[in-house]
Amino acid sequence: MTSEITRRRFLGTTATLGAATVVAPAAASQKVHPPGWRGTERVDKVPTTCEMCFWRCGVVASVAGGKVVRVAGHPEHPQNQGRLCARGNAGTGLLYDPDRLKTPLLRTGERGEGRFKRVSWDEALDFLAGKLVKLRQEHGPESVALFPHGNGPRFFATLMQAYGTPNSAEPSFAQCRGPREVGYSLTFGRGLGSPEPVDLEEARLIVLIGSHLGENVFTSQITAFATGLAHGAKLIAVDPRFSTAAAKADWWLPIRPGTDIALLLAWMNVLIGEGLYDREYVETYAKGFEQLQEHVKEFTPEWAAPITDLTAAKIRETARAMGAAKPAVALHPGRHVTWYGDDTQRARAMAILTALLGSWGRRGGIFLPTPIPKGSFDLPEFPEPKRGRADGAGTRFPLAPEELGVTNGLIDATVSGNPYPIKAWIVYGQNVLESIPQRSRTLEAIGKLDLMVVVDVLPVEQINYADLVLPEATYLERYDPPNIVESAKRPFIAVRSPVCEPLYESKPGWWIARELAKRLDLMAYFPWETPEQHLETILAPTGINGNELRNCGVVAFPGKPYLDDRAPQDRSFDTASGKIELFSQDLADLGADPMPRYTPHAEPPAGFLRLIYGRAPVHSFARSQNNKILNALMPENEVWLHTSVAREFGVAEGQRVILENSDGVRSNPILVKVTEGIRRDCAYVVHGFGHRSRALRLAFGRGASDNALMSRVSVDPLTGGTGMHVNFVRPVKA
Amino acid sequence: MARYAMVTDLRKCVACKACTVACSAEWDVPTGQARTHVRATPLAGEFPDLMSSPYVAQCNHCDHPPCVEPCPSGATFQGDDGIVRVDGDVCIGCGFCVDACPYEARYISPRTKKVDKCDFCRPRIERGEEPACVATCTAHAKYFGDLEDRNGEVHRLVFHVGARRLETAAVAVGPNVYYLGRPEQLDLVLASFPPRPPQLLTAGEAWKKLARPLVIGVVGATFLGQAVAFFTQLHKGEGDFDE
Repeated sequence: MTSEITRRRFLGTTATLGAATVVAPAAASQKVHPPGWRGTERVDKVPTTCEMCFWRCGVVASVAGGKVVRVAGHPEHPQNQGRLCARGNAGTGLLYDPDRLKTPLLRTGERGEGRFKRVSWDEALDFLAGKLVKLRQEHGPESVALFPHGNGPRFFATLMQAYGTPNSAEPSFAQCRGPREVGYSLTFGRGLGSPEPVDLEEARLIVLIGSHLGENVFTSQITAFATGLAHGAKLIAVDPRFSTAAAKADWWLPIRPGTDIALLLAWMNVLIGEGLYDREYVETYAKGFEQLQEHVKEFTPEWAAPITDLTAAKIRETARAMGAAKPAVALHPGRHVTWYGDDTQRARAMAILTALLGSWGRRGGIFLPTPIPKGSFDLPEFPEPKRGRADGAGTRFPLAPEELGVTNGLIDATVSGNPYPIKAWIVYGQNVLESIPQRSRTLEAIGKLDLMVVVDVLPVEQINYADLVLPEATYLERYDPPNIVESAKRPFIAVRSPVCEPLYESKPGWWIARELAKRLDLMAYFPWETPEQHLETILAPTGINGNELRNCGVVAFPGKPYLDDRAPQDRSFDTASGKIELFSQDLADLGADPMPRYTPHAEPPAGFLRLIYGRAPVHSFARSQNNKILNALMPENEVWLHTSVAREFGVAEGQRVILENSDGVRSNPILVKVTEGIRRDCAYVVHGFGHRSRALRLAFGRGASDNALMSRVSVDPLTGGTGMHVNFVRPVKA
Repeated sequence: MARYAMVTDLRKCVACKACTVACSAEWDVPTGQARTHVRATPLAGEFPDLMSSPYVAQCNHCDHPPCVEPCPSGATFQGDDGIVRVDGDVCIGCGFCVDACPYEARYISPRTKKVDKCDFCRPRIERGEEPACVATCTAHAKYFGDLEDRNGEVHRLVFHVGARRLETAAVAVGPNVYYLGRPEQLDLVLASFPPRPPQLLTAGEAWKKLARPLVIGVVGATFLGQAVAFFTQLHKGEGDFDE
């Protein structure tokens, strides 16, 4: 059964999909959104790109009388193909959240008090521009730091570069994927990006290390995962917790937390020792095999068994399963990987294992991106900052890339004033008090600022510390730069354009950045008047017409996802040697282990449990707890305790406890879930709850914040990534 | 005539609840209610030898729907296509059908005070679209179609692959939502979420014995009146035609 929408309204798209050079008809000079249905109601169907999380699925909004009544999956989108997760389907819950920020707000009380007065946009922008001019004069432009996240802030990034500061840092690096990108880049010459190009659907064996697919939901990834399993892929789930994925696994390895590198080394030991690795692939593409062979010789399953708390037999059996399934082994690289501070080395171990299995660039393994053309703006040169980055990217953290930065490095600099004082933060689309650990340090940094500006949709706690709050339009109300995704089997360009007018006085990020540019005399860096013109410039080399793209939502191109699709000369790797580097000279030059090594991490002290955390399928980070649709499905989180642990602590299912960490930090009361499905040395919570902002009327005080309990981090010396699995908690009576 | 059925593959399902939210968004289901529920069985076994399964519940459009008979107003009925429907104009919100349903698939809307439940997205399927839950399912774990279509996927999954009905010896009403899963997985689901046995149909039974004659009396009288009017009209009409 196919949908009417598919056949009728996206016919134009269908015709262009698959064409290498796409020339869409130029006739569509105005927005035309053919009608469709929602329930039994006639509606307009308007395509855009979701932002309930950052996977960027294609969606179609049903609009009736200017009101968005439904958001559903875009049937022709090459990623989600009409499918959409619970959060995506609940998009109207964000759009019509009555607690949204409605007007610009200027602080009147003390920082943290949350007392503001409403001001007009002109007042707000004049105030901010005035402050920025003054800061530049008194402290230099480098004293201003941007904390961006997501698709929207590219306009702010341009603005800040034009203003003259090099300081910008996203939590998606040092609190999430950074060490992974670096570890894989050191090995293969490129990272993975997002969406991760893991060929789950074609795999014969899927290996998850802490990745809890199913609870962590990205629509197309779940589709590929379930499809792979249905086609007979075996599954190894390495997780201290009996996750949704573990329940589907052929092998659940409830590993002792912090010992993954030992397991990975033992797997390599078996694959090499038993000759199960992909010899031809390694000989063709890789370098350093002999050193690796020598390196892993001592790391037998028997060596790893007591470290990992797994049996040598299980380790050997799973290694052999990988050897049998190679190269179609989808070893998922993970996404949030900042766990223990040696995360770059763990990523290296995973990358090396991927190489031994011959999975990189192979069907059922990790597929390759296909470049697609994109236009750029002819901008004047950005001013060269007089002082280098303050966050240590490229210096203190030698492998942190400058374009992403190190959030905690910026916080350190703000607290210490070294290498120079940071006087202002502009926070866009990230929640510095929930996404970055060591909250008290973040608050200490905020206390040193002359200016804190928050651009956000919801009144999350950090606004209470802001001098100026700017209400942004939601993803359904705004234009963002087009979503150009090359790491897909069919690469594509998709739009995010408004499906309705912005509510209240909220404004899109592009407008805010541009208005500031006007006031700062930086309009040369914004050589476009409207989002439509912006889109046209980026699309220019593709031949795609912007209006047409806005009408159909997405255009896909044919991809070359596998090495076999490419000529031999196009199969090189962007490393120093041009080969896959099993032995990393880059790391050796930095004085780091050129091949990964297991180092023990502190175990929980007596009477404490390791705090581990993860995701629920109905929530995104700390962003969705106030969405009434999603809140109804999961209003609060629970702490998972093993049956015997609950007994020891004298707590029972359904009771509320407070989690206290080894530094004495205490959480909100949280419900206890007593389960056999977790190791005895861990306590697990879903991230994102325990909101402290009273203005989030549904989410306030519900559940406990894992982030608040992260008073300790173990910082990765290579990337600055903050290992966050290093905090210990115990349940105490609420 | 079609005989619609749904198959949910619990090996693929990850319990993401996209179906619940899509359904609610499509049909304006009040917050806090749902036409399709996603649950998980309790864990079976001891660490580390464990088993659990998701379970997706909705109206089963049973061959012998126990919800129809207890309905005093005739609002709940089964169409020729097997879809069990509720006529909102007729429903009096008494809730007897809610109690009668072995699968807890019905709820009384706090907004309309009438019973609501899954109707396999009948308006959508009439337009040639899939039900909203099937269309959004991230795991592609749901299949919908006509059991009698021998070339259809649902027919194949039910009659050739062996998708199972969740019914017990005590409650065997012919549900038309089928499940795929490992046998021990489906056993666990059935043991965890068994259809409610017939003794819970007491509300309906009580109604049959006591209230039904009364309601039939009232409804019947109304019907009789309408019938008289109809035949009178018919007779008059014929008379008109004759002229």
